[in-house]
Amino acid sequence: MAYSFPEEVLEHVFSFLSSDRDRNAVSLVCKSWYEIERWCRRRVFIGNCYAVSPDIVIRRFPEVRALEMKGKPHFADFNLVPEGWGAYVHPWIRAMSAAYPLLEEIKLKRMVVTDESLELIARSFKNFKVLVLSSCEGFTTDGLASIAANCRNLRELDLRESEVEDLSGHWLSHFPDNCTSLVSLNMSCLGSEVSFSALERLVARCPNLRTLRLNRAVPIEKLPNLLHRAPQLVELGTGAYSAEIRSDIFSNLAEAFSVCKQLKGLSGFWDVVPAFLPAMYSVCSGITSLNLSYATIQSPDLVKLVSQCRNLQRLWVLDYIEDTGLEALAASCKDLQELRVFPSDPFGAEPNVALTEQGLVSVSEGCPKLQSVLYFCRQMSNAALVTIARNRPEMIRFRLCIIEPQAPDYLTLEPLDAGFGAIVENCKELRRLSMSGLLTDKVFEYIGNHAKKLEMLSIAFAGDSDLGLHHVLSGCESLRKLEIRDCPFGDKALLANAAKLETMRSLWMSSCSVSFGACKLLGQKMPRLNVEVIDERGPPDSRPESCPVEKLYVYRTVAGRRADMPGFVWTMDGDKSLTFS
Amino acid sequence: MIEADSEIIKPEILKAYVWLQTSDGSIQQVEQEVAMFCPLICREIQSGMGSSKNYPISLPSRVNPPMLSLILDYCRFHQVPGRSNKERKSFDEKFVRMDTKRLCELTSAADSLQLKPLVDLTSRALARVIEGKSPEEIREIFHLPDDLTEEEKLEPIKNTMDDPRIRLLNRLYARKRKELKERERLKNTEVEEDRADERSVDDLLSFINGSNEGGPFDTYGFADSKANRASKSKKKNRKRKDHHKAAPSNCTSTSNSTTASSDAVYMNKKESNELDSMRSNPTCHGNLSPNPCNGTKLHNIEDNTIPPAEDEFDDCDLDDDIDPALKEKIDREVEDFARRLNSDWPERMQQILSLGQERRTLQLTANGNGSLRIFTSLDESRK
Repeated sequence: MAYSFPEEVLEHVFSFLSSDRDRNAVSLVCKSWYEIERWCRRRVFIGNCYAVSPDIVIRRFPEVRALEMKGKPHFADFNLVPEGWGAYVHPWIRAMSAAYPLLEEIKLKRMVVTDESLELIARSFKNFKVLVLSSCEGFTTDGLASIAANCRNLRELDLRESEVEDLSGHWLSHFPDNCTSLVSLNMSCLGSEVSFSALERLVARCPNLRTLRLNRAVPIEKLPNLLHRAPQLVELGTGAYSAEIRSDIFSNLAEAFSVCKQLKGLSGFWDVVPAFLPAMYSVCSGITSLNLSYATIQSPDLVKLVSQCRNLQRLWVLDYIEDTGLEALAASCKDLQELRVFPSDPFGAEPNVALTEQGLVSVSEGCPKLQSVLYFCRQMSNAALVTIARNRPEMIRFRLCIIEPQAPDYLTLEPLDAGFGAIVENCKELRRLSMSGLLTDKVFEYIGNHAKKLEMLSIAFAGDSDLGLHHVLSGCESLRKLEIRDCPFGDKALLANAAKLETMRSLWMSSCSVSFGACKLLGQKMPRLNVEVIDERGPPDSRPESCPVEKLYVYRTVAGRRADMPGFVWTMDGDKSLTFS
Repeated sequence: MIEADSEIIKPEILKAYVWLQTSDGSIQQVEQEVAMFCPLICREIQSGMGSSKNYPISLPSRVNPPMLSLILDYCRFHQVPGRSNKERKSFDEKFVRMDTKRLCELTSAADSLQLKPLVDLTSRALARVIEGKSPEEIREIFHLPDDLTEEEKLEPIKNTMDDPRIRLLNRLYARKRKELKERERLKNTEVEEDRADERSVDDLLSFINGSNEGGPFDTYGFADSKANRASKSKKKNRKRKDHHKAAPSNCTSTSNSTTASSDAVYMNKKESNELDSMRSNPTCHGNLSPNPCNGTKLHNIEDNTIPPAEDEFDDCDLDDDIDPALKEKIDREVEDFARRLNSDWPERMQQILSLGQERRTLQLTANGNGSLRIFTSLDESRK
């Protein structure tokens, strides 16, 4: 007989396990642990809303207080997932409104949320505290008004990146006067102006407010009013950062910033006027996170700002920073962990800024803690990639986007296989990789051989044959998400590695060469996968079986095929050769 | 006379003692101020117990002498008021350094004495032991029964395709399962029914699995896909909670099968590492959209510090019954495909390997107007 403690003690031990992986492991240990664990599970993370059904979740975990869920595949961010594909949250909200009256948190990403859902949330969960809608869509500011008005204990309302139909700014005024619980408010994605006095009053009466991300419509002159009422802010997203240059505006702003001694994160900065940047200098030494991806200012101004932020850990910036700016960054910010450089003019035929691979190389040399990179540029070389790989073997996320597809090493005109090969070979902890440039099957061989901890891989316009895909599917042991577009991968590798797909969350392939016949076969053989063919040309069986499908989305599920598919999506099933939605 | 509230601690002058009795019957004399740190003991003292050897406080059964000793050490340290937080923390860190078995006993003992701070301390330490480990490792450390996994391994595999080899496998599983159950009822030594099949379980399984070591009870009969082995710990969704309860009635279902064995054909042929790459048509559809390689919309603030493994819950009750004619058709299709796949692999391999680094020099220029879909969303989010 093993250590027999009472259940409550075991539950207490489990309560100190924060990661879902640990909780999952614990539930698999033995029958009694499975039972105990399921009753005390309070947080559930569902990486794919179609992998499981609300009923199954509710049945297994009767006491959930927090749900985090993702819907559409990642490539939806590139408009590769047609409108109406799915990821509706409403069935979940409906089921949970009955089963989880004590639910406190809902965090969603890439899901369709309606006003109806928001209203249901507002009505059903008396103790609702946290709503985070990341890259979601389908709701209006009316839905927000319901949340504001009814959730008495609301702590977080975060709409990051969501597409909201902005009917008016009036929703903010629905927060009742006795609402003092807000800790985090992110309305940066909204267009219309909210009542500033309502905002001011709200900020003033919420003493625990830590994060405030304003939208563009909040003018810079009014920013000091808010800062004075919330000097305890840790994260601030400004509104438009421009006005006519007047000394009183500047001095008010500078004074207001100087009062905020806890600020660690800054974002916003639409329409930045460089003259107003020094107003922030007093807080720069404490700043660890800086998001300048909307700030269209040039390198010298960027450098001046960034070199003040000696403790910077995360920087998101436009390529206006140029190689020189990145060198300065590398010299001043030794704690930098994450760098994202976005393109200011991706559509231009010619480069508009002097940003090349050299900037990234400098940062990789100068910043010993660098582990996460997203870099858009127009040229790359194997030599640079090899250098970066050798400089930073602890890299965890590496996403490189060379703007021109299939661009070779600009020095040697060779493929970039060796460069990316060096990345996966040296960076043994790499978990996420996105590749670009000219790439052959060879790079996939390197990835299959070395990238043992890789969990997510994004590929576009790469490879020569099925061998490439086969290397990845057979070699990458930790692979969970694979997304592919415009690569010459067909049926063979997919079918030969069918079992692998059950160990992954999902596979996306669009504009590849997977035939309808292969999709059918995959769907028949693998009942625990949903094999969805997305094809806007019409039913796949109106074309020959060998005809490639437009898009393929394969994911594992215990919920069977979904019932909400639109007309351009078909699930390949075992019992029928073609099923219409 | 026992006066509950006259037990005021008189430092330096007279130390009060209490008597505690552990489950083995032994009685110990302990400084009162130390023992009072435990709420349970404190209450007992206040209700008059423990003041003499004849009326010792009976401690709960989970508190044996070594555990009591540890607990008293803890109390002795912490009940001293003057200590700094740093000192206390340092003591605690050293205090919990013990093997897991003792840690468990200690947690249990502390819990029975309602000594919450110690329960918290030891629980956290136990959580750290558990963190990052697989179910198998955890089971081993805590000496827990493998009752969940054993059951699930013998669960008949439900699937839409019928295959004679898998039916055989399932019958074996059912038999093995029965065996296990029988063994549990060890009182009656029933004689096992004759096996219809003389071969040993292992023989049969190696026949089914081919040369691959899928292990005797590889859940789907999938051969050793490396991926599957790696993912065993993720097979949470194979656990069928309800089926455990309904076990006996399930175990003899016959027409369950799996595509697994047909999968064997499609499994990685590790030995030869062959793959036909017939489809090397360059299907770069001349689409000039640049790579969305980096996913994210421009301002995806949330960088998904690698999200935790998703939860997938068991309970799949897929129980499709296909009509036999269709089953046959599917079987034939699969065989067909397999043959096609296998046919010209060796020759193609040479071709593939020799393809090497031959490059296509495509003169693709980024067409600035409109076909750069990747950046559409970037633009939109920058409104």
